[in-house]
Amino acid sequence: MDENKIIELSSRENPLLLDCGKSLGPIKIAYTTYGNLNKEKTNAVLICHALTGDQFVASQHPITKKEGWWSKVVGPNKPIDTNKFYVICPNIIGGCMGSTGPKEIDPLTQKEYGLNFPVITISDMVKAQKLLIDHLSIEKLFCVTGGSMGGMLVLEWLSKFPEYVHSAIPIATSVNHSAQNIALNELARQSIMADPNWKSGNYYETDSQPTKGLSVARMAAHISYLSKESLHQKFGRNLQDKSELDYSFNADFQIESYLRHQGITFVDRFDANSYLYITRAMDYFDITKNSNGSLIEAFKKTKSKVLCISFTSDWLYPTSENKKIVKTLNALGIDVSFLEIETENGHDSFLLNEPEFFDALDGFISSTWSEI
Amino acid sequence: MSLINKTKEFKIISNIIPPKSNIIDIGCNDGSLIEYLKSNKNVNARGMEIDQSKVRTCLAKGISVVEGDADTDLFDYPDNLFDYSILTYTLQATKNPKIVLEQLVRIAQKAIVSFPNFGHWSIATSLFFNREMPVNSKLDYSWYETPNLHFCTINDFINLCDGLNIKIEKKADLRKLKFEEFKGKSLYDSYFADSGLFLISKK
Repeated sequence: MDENKIIELSSRENPLLLDCGKSLGPIKIAYTTYGNLNKEKTNAVLICHALTGDQFVASQHPITKKEGWWSKVVGPNKPIDTNKFYVICPNIIGGCMGSTGPKEIDPLTQKEYGLNFPVITISDMVKAQKLLIDHLSIEKLFCVTGGSMGGMLVLEWLSKFPEYVHSAIPIATSVNHSAQNIALNELARQSIMADPNWKSGNYYETDSQPTKGLSVARMAAHISYLSKESLHQKFGRNLQDKSELDYSFNADFQIESYLRHQGITFVDRFDANSYLYITRAMDYFDITKNSNGSLIEAFKKTKSKVLCISFTSDWLYPTSENKKIVKTLNALGIDVSFLEIETENGHDSFLLNEPEFFDALDGFISSTWSEI
Repeated sequence: MSLINKTKEFKIISNIIPPKSNIIDIGCNDGSLIEYLKSNKNVNARGMEIDQSKVRTCLAKGISVVEGDADTDLFDYPDNLFDYSILTYTLQATKNPKIVLEQLVRIAQKAIVSFPNFGHWSIATSLFFNREMPVNSKLDYSWYETPNLHFCTINDFINLCDGLNIKIEKKADLRKLKFEEFKGKSLYDSYFADSGLFLISKK
């Protein structure tokens, strides 16, 4: 049912052409599926994961042993009901959980790609997902959804393959990266590249990995996923297992200890080079790149029913950014709905327990499904 | 709060809207007018609603709806996107009714607007004899908690439209349950209509 599969798509002779001008093939895509595809192949739901997500959307993660990152949303009788839908969640190319990416073996050299891996874009990731959907002989996805970077992939699907998308739910996302978004990603990349163990990306065959750089990158990113209010409520200025200041650089404050923990556990499941490539793809993302800056042009072939959702305390992909999508789709006369969930959980809200968010997803998905 | 009663109000509005029109219902509440118009006139409808729990109710009914505020979010729609914009019993709760009215006739060819008539005899009577703000089935809030910011009379509304380059095409006869040609202010309506229901457009 939910086993992890790896499939080889495209080939050296017939590779995937990338935005950077290079080509990639063969490509491996690791993906999970849940539920059953109906005879008419009308019940497929494609879930696009975020920067550090993966294909383990609703099943136990093989490394962390934690439940799937969207187990609250995907499963039997959940908003994305696996009793009704055939859920597909592929690991993006450039990722590090089995899909072709910098840590995988380059068939040409029989060595890890490292920095020889081509710079990929969100559009390239979607083109690779399209190969998988074609392989599964699905001509129309009932729904494409995802949050954060996953939302960018959803927008790319709407723009590039509109006829393949019956409905779409982009969540807490943006039509392009702001200077602030790029700045935060650059901070993360510089932190990885400043780690002496990074060795220009050639660390796979050495004993020491750039774990320090990657963990600092994760710490910085993690701050951007939370709101000032939620940090204050969770940690305040509380001290970690002590009643007095240490007068040292130990983790005196709970927030320090928490961030360090986030960083340390992250490196067990993520590849530093993948982090560089994926953040680059996010920075390069601009849905209007091929339409002279026009959002209207970018979405003019879209016919799907769309639900956009943002969160009040999300300062990484704020409501104003999500509303740009709504405004454009409205102007095009597309059936678009929008709501802003009130919460103090920041950008990470789409991964957390937000009953009103789940209710909106459930209402939209159930009513759209009943129209089919 | 609703005009006369929902069934009658829906009927009057539905009667004037041609089948398959593109409409937007602003302040669409739980989407019941949209549902009514969809089933009776097969309209292509969208809603805007400020109360998120109602937005979610609409979503579950399959209605496309945007969580938004008539005062600020109508600017997001291009000119003449819709055949009809509808604003029932919401005008008096907006911060700037003047701008909202202008937006209604900008984003649609025609707009349908209803509001409680503050010139109704029962309201005048309440003020005159009791010296108290009226609270009744149509105006069911006390003055200190009402969301209604800008009450007007039918005559006030007619005067405002005049000043805004907005043409009042038709007014609803609430007894006959249908729209008829607007022929200027009516003494009868200004005293005895508990609500105004008008079809307006750009001049």
